[in-house]
Amino acid sequence: MKKILLPGLILFWAMTGLAIAQTPENLTTAYRQFNALFTGEWQQYGELFTNLQKNLFPRLFLLVITTIPVFLFLHYIAIGPMSFPHDGKRVYCYNLFVRIIHWMAALSFSLLVLTGFVVIFAKLLGPGYLGITARTVHLVSAVIFSIAAIPLFLFWIKEMLPALYDLQWLMIMGGYLNKEKKPVPAGKFNAGQKMWFWLATVGGGAMAVTGYFLYSHPGNIDILRLSAIIHNFLGAAMVALFLVHIYMALAATKGSLQSMIHGYKAEAELKILHPKFKY
Amino acid sequence: MGRMKFLCDIERCIDCSGCVVACKEGNHIPVRVNRRRVITIGQGQPGEKSISVACMHCSDAPCIAVCPVDCIYQRDDGIILHDKEACIGCGYCFMACPFGAPQFPSGQVFGARGSMDKCTFCAGGPEETFSVKERKLYGQNRIAEGKVPLCAAMWATKSLLAGDADEVSDVYRERVFKRGSGANAWGWNKAYKNR
Ligand code: SF4
Ligand code: SF4
Ligand code: SF4
Repeated sequence: MKKILLPGLILFWAMTGLAIAQTPENLTTAYRQFNALFTGEWQQYGELFTNLQKNLFPRLFLLVITTIPVFLFLHYIAIGPMSFPHDGKRVYCYNLFVRIIHWMAALSFSLLVLTGFVVIFAKLLGPGYLGITARTVHLVSAVIFSIAAIPLFLFWIKEMLPALYDLQWLMIMGGYLNKEKKPVPAGKFNAGQKMWFWLATVGGGAMAVTGYFLYSHPGNIDILRLSAIIHNFLGAAMVALFLVHIYMALAATKGSLQSMIHGYKAEAELKILHPKFKY
Repeated sequence: MGRMKFLCDIERCIDCSGCVVACKEGNHIPVRVNRRRVITIGQGQPGEKSISVACMHCSDAPCIAVCPVDCIYQRDDGIILHDKEACIGCGYCFMACPFGAPQFPSGQVFGARGSMDKCTFCAGGPEETFSVKERKLYGQNRIAEGKVPLCAAMWATKSLLAGDADEVSDVYRERVFKRGSGANAWGWNKAYKNR
């Protein structure tokens, strides 16, 4: 009797075990499947985006717009602007077409930065319709910027290609750390301008693509989360260089702004700041 | 104070979409916005299961964490509401939410997103309770009336439970106790196969 009972029992356990394992009505399995459908891999990009947006992005932008102006201001006070005699020979550097698209890009970019900040600090700057309007202006400015940036990119790309001496320029920070008028290694554009150029055009392209996703909400939500992350990091970098660019044009080199208005630069300035420029 | 929760009993949900329609009609939800939806797995196969999901009214909600306007807030009873007039439609809450709960009506300039809309647990919004404005922006405020949310009230099979967390889990526990669950639940297997 005992001999039959034991194998019988084992068989019974095995079969019930099998029945439970096979039943499709296992609640835990069902909930697991639902979870996968609803949340997907939230832990991957969803959580990353949530944490970055909660803890980093607004602070990063705040840091950029507070510390960089302070550094630039300190530079202005401690070292001061460079100025060159503008009554000597002048060299035609920027033709009318380039100047027009430059200002188109400049204006739309400024709007992009401003409206971007309205969204980032929406609580302070623009809740409700203000924020919604800012987002619309952001979109329109992005389109205008793209229209201007493409010809600008093609027009300047040759002169903006990196050269070996750009490293030297970066090493001495373009000679901006002292007031000495020693020629620095730079062609028509120095390494700083090149960095700004590539960030604004290629980076601008990435901003346009990710921005398009953020605006149009494509089907895949992970693409959306990644776009938001890239858009914010790249945006912070662009704002940083934008501030430096404005400072350089408005204050660091006297008369630099004028060159983008009437197209001429003083030869005396070119000899020091852009000695490798063959005009 | 209790903690409001939804629970969808997937052994009872039959994908009738009564909850979705009730919510849409009763709250006058704009086109293309679904505060609640039903998802089915294993459709047409034995063991097919459906579940109805809206906003989960999360603790430590990701949507609150990311909103740049801070216009989403949680009431003491756990219900998560948001201020449509402050919302700028940036979509961050949608990206942070694990459940795709926040929705956006389109139809503004350039097809831009308007204010976010999501399940309010039928508890209205920050406007004055029972005001015309509250009703227009957020739908009914049934919680203030002492009623269960529309979706849960409409349910033929009573699979969607909504209310105080303790009550909800009591109801569910009793159900499971009576009918069993998983392999032991009442259904084809128990009635015929495992006899
Ligand atoms: S919207 Fe999403 S994240 Fe926010 S409470 Fe609802 S389910 Fe949670
Ligand atoms: S869409 Fe509205 S509610 Fe959602 S995060 Fe943006 S501002 Fe906040
Ligand atoms: S609680 Fe109200 S708002 Fe939320 S899904 Fe149900 S009916 Fe819609």
